[in-house]
Amino acid sequence: MKNIWRCLTAVLFAIVAMSFVVEKQQLTIFLAGDSTMADKRVSAYPETGWGTRFRNFFDSSVAIVNKAQNGRSTRTFIEEGLWKSIYENIHPGDYVLIQFGHNDEVPTKASYTNETDFKRNLILFINQTREKQGNPVLITPVARRSFDSTGTVKDTHVRYAQLIRETAAAQHVPLIDLDKESMALLQSLGPERSMRLYNHLAPGENPNYPHGRVDDTHFNELGGRKMAELVLADLRKISPELNSRVVTSNWGAK
Amino acid sequence: MKSNNLIKLLIGCGCALLAFTVPSHKIKIYLIGDSTVCDQPIDRYPVTGWGTPFANYFDGSVKVDNRAKGGRSTRTFLQENRWQPIVDSLMPGDYVIMQFGHNDEAKEPQYAARYTPVPDYKKNLTKFITETRAKKAFPILVTPVSRRRFDKDGKALETHKEYTAAVFEVGAQEKVPVIDLDKMSRDLYQQFGANDSRLLFMELDSAEHPIYPMGRHDDTHFNDYGARMIAELVLNDIKTKDLPLAAHIVVGQNKPK
Repeated sequence: MKNIWRCLTAVLFAIVAMSFVVEKQQLTIFLAGDSTMADKRVSAYPETGWGTRFRNFFDSSVAIVNKAQNGRSTRTFIEEGLWKSIYENIHPGDYVLIQFGHNDEVPTKASYTNETDFKRNLILFINQTREKQGNPVLITPVARRSFDSTGTVKDTHVRYAQLIRETAAAQHVPLIDLDKESMALLQSLGPERSMRLYNHLAPGENPNYPHGRVDDTHFNELGGRKMAELVLADLRKISPELNSRVVTSNWGAK
Repeated sequence: MKSNNLIKLLIGCGCALLAFTVPSHKIKIYLIGDSTVCDQPIDRYPVTGWGTPFANYFDGSVKVDNRAKGGRSTRTFLQENRWQPIVDSLMPGDYVIMQFGHNDEAKEPQYAARYTPVPDYKKNLTKFITETRAKKAFPILVTPVSRRRFDKDGKALETHKEYTAAVFEVGAQEKVPVIDLDKMSRDLYQQFGANDSRLLFMELDSAEHPIYPMGRHDDTHFNDYGARMIAELVLNDIKTKDLPLAAHIVVGQNKPK
């Protein structure tokens, strides 16, 4: 008799527990940024933005919408309506990862954005994301491959990376310091091996680049993935919610 | 006069319509082979077969149909009826690019179900060739892409001797072009060196990628980067050999920068 009651209690408990296993709410992670993050046209392969490699990390409850575009600064991203296409689609609980700087920081580029405007634009992204109950995350610009004569990696985004750090602190927005972290990765690989992460192609090697390519800003598949892995590692710490949606896999070591 | 114009108009329209009804058959390249060639499921990313990036480098007149499948030998590919549907859909001018060996050569007891002795391997390749040609399509043989193995002096070692030799024998006998991917890939690993060649393979630190929470150390299967470099070797050998297919490989406009 006692056993029967125990059984019934167990069954009842299981039924109650099951009712909590509801479908996870669908979330979207929007990516706002430049060519180092953007999806590429097939004719540009093997150039790879880290946003492309960011897709394979989450379960089916998370959609990745990569709105990053080659050549964009915070200013042109807004002017061309790219920001609007994110803003209008943010639902409560969504995330917006924001990485700019490469095209804002160069005074000779048409996309140049001065320091005051750069900060103002970042704050606009933050405020409008929060207005829609989304979660903004600021990311410092991923490093270029540049070493000094002693083999020490150079900081290629000194000023604009700092502006992002300041804005993140002032606005209480989570920060992924990809500039610093990617520099550490480049340093650990060294001046020669780090070349393997960027779009370096010998003449005649790849049909899309008959004359070869030497590019120390844009990644190949390996670099795109390594940078995406750095961002993911930080994002898992920033957001328990997203961490719970990272794919689980039984693929063991081999 | 009026009806004359009408006739002219009708003829004109007819011609215009005809132009659209000419069958515009795309040349199909069927890839048959094993896990080193196949499109891999997304939940195993970043493991990548070389057939996946290979498909990105042809002009609009070509469609690559990657029918390779992980774990298959020539024998199991046939037994599972993966070949006959390809034969049935082959059109004149299509291509069949075949790379087997990794699973045919697996003599360990746990792989008995896929193992194929050399004489059978040659017979099966010959069957693929003969039936491709019967449909006026073109067969291309590829030797099995090398595994990553180095001796203690840092020399890249041969990993498919017997089966690569068999591919060459079939190629010579049947007069089929042979892309020696075994040698080209080994030369590539040698150029990278014992350590850096790991960058081409499924070598992941633990915790680096969530799909492989315990890391991965696999010197047979490529990652996305390695697969692309292997695909480049195949594409470039198609050009070097001046196979007709070379005319359909894209010529990019990108500048060296």
